[in-house]
Amino acid sequence: MINRRELIVLGGSAAVLASTGFVRAAEWPTKQVTVISAYPPGGTSDIITRLVADLLTAKYGQQFVVENVAGAAGALAGGKLARSAPDGYTIMVSGSAPIAANKVVQKNLAYDPQVDFTPITVVAESCALLSASATAPAKTLQDLIAYAKANPGKLNIGNPGAGTKGHICAAMIGMQAGVEINHIPYKGSPPLLADLLGGHIDFALDAPSNYLPHIKDGKILGVAVTTAERVGEMPEVKTVAEQGFDGFNQTLWFGAVGPKDMPADIVDKIHTAIKEWTDTPAAKEKLKSLGLAAVVNTPDEMRGSIEREIASIRPLVDAGLVQPS
Amino acid sequence: MDIFNGLMLGFSTATTLSNFSYCFFGVFLGTAVGVLPGLGPIATISMLLPFTFGLPVDTALIMLAGIFYGSQYGGSTTAILMNLPGEASSVVTTLDGHEMAKQGKAGRALAAAAIGSFFAGTVGTVFIAVAAPLLAGLALTFGPAEYFSLIVLGLVTSMVLTSGSLLTAFGMALLGMTFGMVGTDVNSGFARYTFGSANLLDGLDFVVIATGVFGLGDVLANLQNEHARAASVAPVSRLYPTREDWRRMTAPILRGTGVGVVLGILPGAGVLLASFSAYALEKKISRRPEDFGKGAIEGVAAPEAANNAAAQTCFIPMLTLGLPGTATMALMIGALVVQGVQPGPEMLTQQPALFWGLVVSMWIGNLLLLLLNLPLVGMWAKLISVPYRYLFPMICVFTAIGVYSINNNVFDVYLMALFGLLGFFFRKVGAEPAPLILALILGPMAEEYLRRTLLISHGDATVFFTSPVSLGILVVTALLLMSILSPHFRKVREEGLQEVD
Repeated sequence: MINRRELIVLGGSAAVLASTGFVRAAEWPTKQVTVISAYPPGGTSDIITRLVADLLTAKYGQQFVVENVAGAAGALAGGKLARSAPDGYTIMVSGSAPIAANKVVQKNLAYDPQVDFTPITVVAESCALLSASATAPAKTLQDLIAYAKANPGKLNIGNPGAGTKGHICAAMIGMQAGVEINHIPYKGSPPLLADLLGGHIDFALDAPSNYLPHIKDGKILGVAVTTAERVGEMPEVKTVAEQGFDGFNQTLWFGAVGPKDMPADIVDKIHTAIKEWTDTPAAKEKLKSLGLAAVVNTPDEMRGSIEREIASIRPLVDAGLVQPS
Repeated sequence: MDIFNGLMLGFSTATTLSNFSYCFFGVFLGTAVGVLPGLGPIATISMLLPFTFGLPVDTALIMLAGIFYGSQYGGSTTAILMNLPGEASSVVTTLDGHEMAKQGKAGRALAAAAIGSFFAGTVGTVFIAVAAPLLAGLALTFGPAEYFSLIVLGLVTSMVLTSGSLLTAFGMALLGMTFGMVGTDVNSGFARYTFGSANLLDGLDFVVIATGVFGLGDVLANLQNEHARAASVAPVSRLYPTREDWRRMTAPILRGTGVGVVLGILPGAGVLLASFSAYALEKKISRRPEDFGKGAIEGVAAPEAANNAAAQTCFIPMLTLGLPGTATMALMIGALVVQGVQPGPEMLTQQPALFWGLVVSMWIGNLLLLLLNLPLVGMWAKLISVPYRYLFPMICVFTAIGVYSINNNVFDVYLMALFGLLGFFFRKVGAEPAPLILALILGPMAEEYLRRTLLISHGDATVFFTSPVSLGILVVTALLLMSILSPHFRKVREEGLQEVD
């Protein structure tokens, strides 16, 4: 039997242990770590979360367990992370929506990603791809703009959802070229790709991986990639910047963050492990098969990525081209 | 590669010891988790998906496919025994299946579902082997206008499902469409009816609502008169179908299979529409339509066959175009991508062993499902005579776990409880919930496709009539609507005339 006094002593020492564990982050991790995945299992974001959890498990010998908190474009996961203790035992790996874009495209966001999160690192990125159906009225970006000018209000571009990167990139192109674009939102990539293949819609702006096999097959056509440089898997597809939009550079990125005030040495440990992993050829190959390139920056650089993303969307919201929900 | 060589390659892939074992393991696991109330195919696959990441790609896909139809079949078991549809396509199975169970015919209903599923699965697999690339092209001819018309047909069909008042069914369908409005608007991204809660941004999840309205609603109704329930459930009679049952269900299984094979090819709406189109078709052409909803074996066999045929052919757009037909298919594509295989047009030529191995393993999986489940029918059938004081806490616990596991969100459990009360209310006032559930799913889809069609056509609504496919479907819809309404009007008029006399 444990009597009352012993209980108090036990409780007290547990509290001491807990507090020293907190201070001595150098020993982190001493127990299981939760890695929040902001999307359902199986999507690109979730796959990256699992790859990161696996590499951290291998590196630090504790289990890094993925917990899927899907819903509201990552806002539920972001809220959960913001409410977690900054002890290094809860982190999140996800696409940029809950880490940046949601701040401007969602009205009732329960957290501020720039205040409530500690950036760790960007892990990987890809371009967004503007593609055209076989029967589309334009095969290049210049022709597309010319078509939009000749037929005001008639240019349809599909995207995988209101407020997604595809929608935002299309809105930016429209704003910079001064043409009206009729945005057609879909629920994710598959139905959009189906309509593009069937010729029911002429253009789509979306993440590239689902589209690549059909471009190689000649069923659809790559019109432009949104990154500053051309992309290895489809070198013949020109960038948006090359086709008259100087300096245009938008990426889809995935990164790791913790709750605010996470100790710097824990951030450093996670950062180092991810950096070591992305330098291996196996990791590069894995990410390439997902249509991604490994990109590891410092926590400060990631803070900059978040700022740039938010700053690039804000003018679209102000101009009423993207409606916050 | 011709089909024969393909099948040979498939057999050599699917029958390796490890692939065969994982196929069995997947079917077994899928059935085991699927029979737990509230856990349908989506929850089962999401939970077990990470486990397959460590397996070779062909083994992983074979196992996932096994889990998929295992849990789909397991979901029918709970639909029949506990009035709990595991996913949308088993909603119609509850209508007659649960009635049969209450009449002591649970074994016969389960056997009819198993046999219908196996036959349909076999036919579906043959279709994939023979005509996958051809059929994939067919799926692409369906644009937003064609889908919209098909969904309108589905909404009208959902009214046929009711065995009670047509007006009540219409009201329930409208209520379902209203519930379907909750969440983020696809077009504008605006939040609708969410009251500022992030938990409602993705709308009301079908599983949460169906589990509440059907499962918990049933529990509450049964608790109210526990003794009466014991008396109302007849002792289990025969376990296997009688000669009369066979006679009655053979043609419905064949027709259900046909409906399922065709509709399953259409990504998005196919599998769901298949099961209840088959049910509606049987009810329309039956000589005893009044038996439907009161334990007609045709009402179990046809939708189960359609459901399973569609569950096979919905692999066609996934394997040939990389387009998932259902949420579970999307999960499977994720599993393939993790393994470095991008499903799409090159898969058949670049990964023939994977493609044909999967096709053959589907058939083996269906066979295993039949062998696994027919002997268990007796055990499941006895479950319904377990005293309710043991059964209902179990149902409550498992539905809570199942609903929680979808998004790891406690809010969903409260929502389920709320809809349980609503389900109880519906039962009290005699309103059947099936049209509500189907409208909950189809309503938002109708809105999405309608608005997308009009956005693309810049507001020109004539596209619904200039597309031959869309026009054809709308004509069928109009005919169906007339055939539903005319006997009803005639009856009302006759009653009116009698009063005059």
